[in-house]
Amino acid sequence: MIPISYNVRSLVVRRATTAAAVLGIALVVFVLASSLMLAAGVKDTLSRGGGRDAALVLRKGVDNELSSTVDQAKVGLILSAPGVRKGADGRPLGTGDVSMIIMLEPVATPGGASNVQVRGVDAEVERFRPEVKVVEGRMFKAGADEAIVGRAISGRFVSLQLGGTIEPKKNRPLKIVGVFDAAGSSYESEVWADVDTVKSAFGREGMVSAVRVKLESAAAFDAFKAHVESDKALGLEAWTEEQWAEKQSQYLSIFMTALGFIISFFFSIGAMIGAMITMYASVIGRQREIGTLRALGFPRRQILFSFMMESLLVSLAGGVFGSIAAMGLTFVKFSTLNFATFSELVFTFKATPDVFVVAFIFSLGMGLLGGMLPAIRAARMSPVQAMRN
Amino acid sequence: MTLTRFAALNLFRNPLRTALTVAGVAVAVVAFLLLRTVIWSYNVAADSAVPDRLVTRHKVTFIMPLPKRYIDDVRATPGVKDATWANWWGGREPNKPTEFFATLAVDPESYFRVIDEMVVEPADLQAWKEDRQGAIVGDMLAQKFGWKKGDTVRLESQFFDGLYEFRISGIYTATRRTVDRMTFLFHWAYLNEKAPVEARETIGWIMSRTNGKPTEIGRTVDAMFDVKDVQTISQDEATFNRSFLAGFSAILSAINVVSIVILLIMMMILGNTVAMGVRERTAEYGVLRAIGFLPKHIVTLVVGEAAVLGVGGGVAGLLVAYPVVQLGIGRFVEENLAGFFPYFRISPENAVAGFVLALVLAALASVIPAWQAGRLSVVDSLRRVA
Repeated sequence: MIPISYNVRSLVVRRATTAAAVLGIALVVFVLASSLMLAAGVKDTLSRGGGRDAALVLRKGVDNELSSTVDQAKVGLILSAPGVRKGADGRPLGTGDVSMIIMLEPVATPGGASNVQVRGVDAEVERFRPEVKVVEGRMFKAGADEAIVGRAISGRFVSLQLGGTIEPKKNRPLKIVGVFDAAGSSYESEVWADVDTVKSAFGREGMVSAVRVKLESAAAFDAFKAHVESDKALGLEAWTEEQWAEKQSQYLSIFMTALGFIISFFFSIGAMIGAMITMYASVIGRQREIGTLRALGFPRRQILFSFMMESLLVSLAGGVFGSIAAMGLTFVKFSTLNFATFSELVFTFKATPDVFVVAFIFSLGMGLLGGMLPAIRAARMSPVQAMRN
Repeated sequence: MTLTRFAALNLFRNPLRTALTVAGVAVAVVAFLLLRTVIWSYNVAADSAVPDRLVTRHKVTFIMPLPKRYIDDVRATPGVKDATWANWWGGREPNKPTEFFATLAVDPESYFRVIDEMVVEPADLQAWKEDRQGAIVGDMLAQKFGWKKGDTVRLESQFFDGLYEFRISGIYTATRRTVDRMTFLFHWAYLNEKAPVEARETIGWIMSRTNGKPTEIGRTVDAMFDVKDVQTISQDEATFNRSFLAGFSAILSAINVVSIVILLIMMMILGNTVAMGVRERTAEYGVLRAIGFLPKHIVTLVVGEAAVLGVGGGVAGLLVAYPVVQLGIGRFVEENLAGFFPYFRISPENAVAGFVLALVLAALASVIPAWQAGRLSVVDSLRRVA
């Protein structure tokens, strides 16, 4: 077999063209990996709100919490359904949230407007959501015109930071008294205030948007769902937090993934053509070497294999560099409107093993396709012809 | 043999390489055009807004409604010539819940007067006004669902209980290509009588035609409602449309960056090809110089060759992109994503930009190899072996 060191050395000799080919492939891998990381980031952020043993109940058939209204009178009914876990105080672990949006001016695009989700939550936040911690300032007081802002979205909109105010109703500003951390979940892209404050400020008395409960176990969900949905007249629908997160993230993550693949597809054609041009040139330039190898007794398939190997080495190097560059984005925050919730979602590029498996396969695919034709050309050279040149 | 002929023949010396390079440039041009078209189509709705039209909505967010009586106040405002309103109904066809289209409850008397880029046959319009459960639908929507005039359609809403039954009174068409032709319009009065009590007598937003000064009139309108229980924000239509773009600005700027990056990749491919050609032909350039051609001739030769490759790639790219977008994905996008891209087509500006950029960047990519080729002394280049 022709040693791989032959290929490595050939690549090193032609540094400039090798570097250009590697760079091209690295760029493709970078673009693909970063868009997949965005899609993974959306999913991750939206799914941190709760697991399979947490559920929420909404109006039947709605696509988002915003469109959902559940009569306040039904909340008690839902909390008393079988399967709902009890807290240390013996009361069921559940809460009714009111979701609204408010249009604010993004700091990044002055004059523009985007929606920020405002959530009215039970003033005993830590009872149902122990993961939420105020990291700056303090928690809002029950019934007061105060709000706290998630740390992902804090500072991204005009006056949406500690000490700022939002005005859902004229002459009724909600003062922002704290910044909270919610373990990286999408709650960090929201503004929270006391549920009664939000109800009256937005004119939503007598109803909540969604009722969230903790279940005794993931297995308890079916019984819970059956009970909640049994009375058709109530018009309710139960979801596990996991299913709901999937639904809320699917449009945006599918969009990101599709956009990433389409762009990478074009980029990869460009990169492959670039690599092919240089590979062809290098095959022509190495006619004599190839002839010598053939004369030494290496069969055609060995030549083919060797050149394919060389191309794979280039694409592998490109894949590695591209992935490393994409990893560097892990610390970058990305903020956009989530189509599913009509509100702004801040998330990070999330590096998951899947992302890099796909990027790796993609780069090897480029190497295979781009190297195939030049390698065939090299293998088909007749030794006599090749040596004569 | 003239220098031009020499340059032309050079292109065919390595036909495979030339073909690959042209293909590379073409792919970059196609990708560039697609990405620019996404951005252009997204902005075009905002840019083609009617200049004298004013949009008034709830100050806090567009999902909160205004009291119905506000329409009379707006109509009475000096400078407002005509006004109408609409409510977002969130409707969908129960058997095809994933097919999105806009459903608006509107005022049949005034809607098509204010939104005059949507046109309905006068007889159908009259029939609609007389039928409380009548609906007017966009021609693309009617085609997609196979609805015809006279059909009965049952839809459900995300916000309200039960099925609503409608009769298609007519189909609207658009006078401009950027108008959404996928909207379902029905009587606000029908919604108002079926909706729960708390949702009655409310309207989503108000659109008015003004005597040409929408911004000033908007200020008057907002000041009028500022002292009432619900405050408003009024913007001219272009500003209103554009303010929605802010939510997607991060994605749009990412696409923008990517469209530039793809051109840079194209430059790299081209530059590499040209550089390889120059290296292989150094000795020939020496000969040309020896028989009296000047460095500027050599430079022209190299840059010219690159420019021809750029033009070839640009033309090939346009030839591929046009049919693909205009006959293929454009229609698909317009039908399925009408809310974002009512008109998804390659604009002439973008086509010209793609072509010119391919040409200019190709020439730019060849500057360094050309400069190196021109700078070589006759003796050096003759001595050099490829």
